[in-house]
Amino acid sequence: ELQVKVRQKKVMEIDPEEEAEFERELRAVMQESIDSRKLEVRARPSLNMVIPMNLFEGSKEHNRSIEGESGDEQADGSDVTVHVIIKKGNRQQTKQLHIPRDSSLVQSTKQKEAAELEE
Amino acid sequence: EEAADEDSHEYSKRDLPEHSCKYCGIHNPACIVRCNVCRKWFCNSRGNTSGSHIVNHLVRAKHKEVCLHKDSTLGETTLECYNCGCRNVFLLGFISAKTESVVVLLCREPCLNVGALKDMNWDLSQWQPLIDDRCFLPWLVKVPTEQEQLRARQISAQQINKVEELWKSSPDATLEDLEKPGVDDEPQPVALKYEEAYQYQNVFGPLVKLEADYDKMMKESQSKDNIIVRWDVGLNKKRVAYFVFPKEDNELRLVPGDELRLRYPGDSTHSAWQSVGHVIKLTAQEEVALELRASQGVPIDVNHNFSVDFVWKSTSFDRMQAAMKTLAVDDTSVSGYIYHRLLGHEVEAQLVRTTLPRRFGAPGLPDLNASQVHAVKSVLQKPVSLIQGPPGTGKTVTSAAIVYHLARQSQGQVLVCAPSNVAVDQLAEKISATGLKVVRLCAKSREAVSSPVEHLTLHYQVKHLDTSDKSELHKLQLLKDEQGELSSADEKKYKALKRATEREIAQSADVICCTCVGAGDPRLLNFRFRQVLIDESTQATEPECLIPLVLGAKQVVLVGDHCQLGPVIMCKKAARAGLAQSLFERLVLLGVKPIRLVVQYRMHPSLSEFPSNNFYEGTLQNGITMNERLTVGIDFPWPVPNRPMFFYVQMGQEEISASGTSYLNRTEAANVEKIVTTFLKTGVLPSQIGVITPYEGQRAYIVNHMSRIGSLRQTLYKEIEVASVDSFQGREKDFIILSCVRSNEHQGIGFLNDPRRLNVALTRARYGIVILGNPKVLSKQPLWNSLLTHYKEHECLVEGPLNNLKQSMVQFQKPKKVYMDR
Ligand SMILES: [Zn+2]
Ligand SMILES: [Zn+2]
Ligand SMILES: [Zn+2]
Repeated sequence: ELQVKVRQKKVMEIDPEEEAEFERELRAVMQESIDSRKLEVRARPSLNMVIPMNLFEGSKEHNRSIEGESGDEQADGSDVTVHVIIKKGNRQQTKQLHIPRDSSLVQSTKQKEAAELEE
Repeated sequence: EEAADEDSHEYSKRDLPEHSCKYCGIHNPACIVRCNVCRKWFCNSRGNTSGSHIVNHLVRAKHKEVCLHKDSTLGETTLECYNCGCRNVFLLGFISAKTESVVVLLCREPCLNVGALKDMNWDLSQWQPLIDDRCFLPWLVKVPTEQEQLRARQISAQQINKVEELWKSSPDATLEDLEKPGVDDEPQPVALKYEEAYQYQNVFGPLVKLEADYDKMMKESQSKDNIIVRWDVGLNKKRVAYFVFPKEDNELRLVPGDELRLRYPGDSTHSAWQSVGHVIKLTAQEEVALELRASQGVPIDVNHNFSVDFVWKSTSFDRMQAAMKTLAVDDTSVSGYIYHRLLGHEVEAQLVRTTLPRRFGAPGLPDLNASQVHAVKSVLQKPVSLIQGPPGTGKTVTSAAIVYHLARQSQGQVLVCAPSNVAVDQLAEKISATGLKVVRLCAKSREAVSSPVEHLTLHYQVKHLDTSDKSELHKLQLLKDEQGELSSADEKKYKALKRATEREIAQSADVICCTCVGAGDPRLLNFRFRQVLIDESTQATEPECLIPLVLGAKQVVLVGDHCQLGPVIMCKKAARAGLAQSLFERLVLLGVKPIRLVVQYRMHPSLSEFPSNNFYEGTLQNGITMNERLTVGIDFPWPVPNRPMFFYVQMGQEEISASGTSYLNRTEAANVEKIVTTFLKTGVLPSQIGVITPYEGQRAYIVNHMSRIGSLRQTLYKEIEVASVDSFQGREKDFIILSCVRSNEHQGIGFLNDPRRLNVALTRARYGIVILGNPKVLSKQPLWNSLLTHYKEHECLVEGPLNNLKQSMVQFQKPKKVYMDR
């Protein structure tokens, strides 16, 4: 019988110097990005961030069925489903994403929802 | 352990889909994104690094836009700000709606900071950056499972940095390319000892390849346009084109025998034309004379708008590789003893059984001194010997005497080589003076190059062989010269006759002289040489030295001086790995003690003092007295009358030359002209003066400046040789003027940092030397510091106008680090 030897997960050994150097580079790219945008964007953009509610109509039932079919195992109790709105050219589309329940993004929504309910 | 390693190996060999992480090969669509700039895919695992592969790539390559895979949850989607369309992932983050389970990407500058959004239904307080903890948000781009990661290629942070660096020049390179020698990793360095000749070949083979590739790249990139050509016809009725070929510091200098292609693009009355030719000489006016191979259709009524390319030849590198292979596969290539010594193995000392001659000098040569006699005597008894010949110590005479005695032992023909043609010619001449029959074998490409020993060359001897049975060859030769070509039947006959004659002449010689590379000439195929002498061997690379040795060597004499300049290696990587170390040097490191010639006949005793003490442990003796080096009738302002030397303090600034690749120093150039003019006025001939400067920029500037400013006849200045240290190696002049050029606070002194180069520069002069330089800068280097101190102690450190030189009080700097003697 074939013996399968599975290697133990290697303890990641990261050279602290390498890590520090990478961190510096990353920060530099971030900072450079912010700075260049500050220079580049003279006029403040107009905002068009209305949530396109029409996209969600009747979505709840629909979602369920899709999840069932695809057998996406992530849709368990630790995740919540959110809708991501993306633009394809001028068209808006929504897609579903499962994000961890403990994500700050979800937390804030839930808290707000709760707070609003209490009022 | 092993099983997993094999797995990851298999993984890299299999054909991976296009969308595989370029670092690790993972290709699960949920785990990867494509960089929109370079179109490469990367995964979101960290592997062995602190950031995920995609973040590593974006940061290292400074790329900022990505796209998700079509089979990912969001489908093929370029990540961008929902409001303004900004695609810089380093600015993007998610925000969620206050009431709905809706999220969008928003950039933090400016959209997140726009006040108007506050009124809307979005919660801006919880903006979550897309790249968090050096990783893409794992719920947007999944992190591959542990299982997936284990099967993937393990890539280190260093490899990532290397491959990213490589992609900048070759975007399609793979990680496998990193392992290829010559692309990124430093090649395996040379060793002191080798197990066997295959290992030797495995080390030197790649180094020779590196140098060959670099040489090819350099030469082929040196095409020049707008060349103005002057036409002439040679004695052999061949067309000769004369033109100036501009060059720069780090470029190769042309030498006779080089092959160039001359091109004319064509015009309304001429069709496009090109022809290959050989450089037959370089004139004093810095013109190149190119003898064209084809005489037909040459546009000789045109002079402008020509282009010149180098024609690169792999011959010399091929011969080195072949010699290494021969050493490995053919046990008769060298004697067993020499085989083991070359590879650094411990072997019991061996003596050559021979009857020593009664006197060690040779007819036609000057008498030998004690150290020269000692050298000849001990060389004759040993299978491997090294002779170190410091400047002016009679290396060539000693070598010629050795060859004379070797040839007299009747062990077959003696092979005599050197890396340079000049050295081979000198030696051939001296050996011929002893009465031995010498054949100088020249490369075919150099047959038209004039040589002081033309009568010894094989091609000359073939042409002038005066026997009746050679008349057929002569007839065909005449016909060929006349018509330019022969019928194919005649050509065949001509070639066969010529080959037979060449062989006959070469076989009848006592000594064959050629360059090291020339020893690989097909005309020497099937020749065997038991005794080989290599002069200037410290200027040859090991594989180059091997070419003459693998023709059956049993007794080897290497002559040279490892305290002077070594072989010129153009490829830095190959030089760093040790290709610049000669076989002579390695044998010294292995404990072979060189026999040193110790009496110098060149320099005025005060000129030899510093080199002797600093490069030869004070062992150099003067075979020449001050009286023999008196400059009678020459009225030159030496600060100390019987010390024909001074260091002339210069504070002028260095400048970058017009080409941008070299340096010049106007003040030094101006003073060089004044010194030269003073010498000339007092009766010194131009041919007695040499101006040495390490920079091409300064060399060109001095040549130009002298002929423009010099108060004497222009032709006098034009005859003065102004050249680099390297091109003065092996030669001498009565008076040397050395212009150091570099004069800056913070950068180095460049070329002058090499002690061996300083040694060469200081040991060219017979009667007198003037050094121009900035002591403040030069004194930082320990060796220069002691040179300056030496000049100062002898009251030869001066400043002021040439007709009123005064002792300089300039302060030296503390030398930086201890000078390492090599
Ligand atoms: Zn990229
Ligand atoms: Zn990866
Ligand atoms: Zn934006």
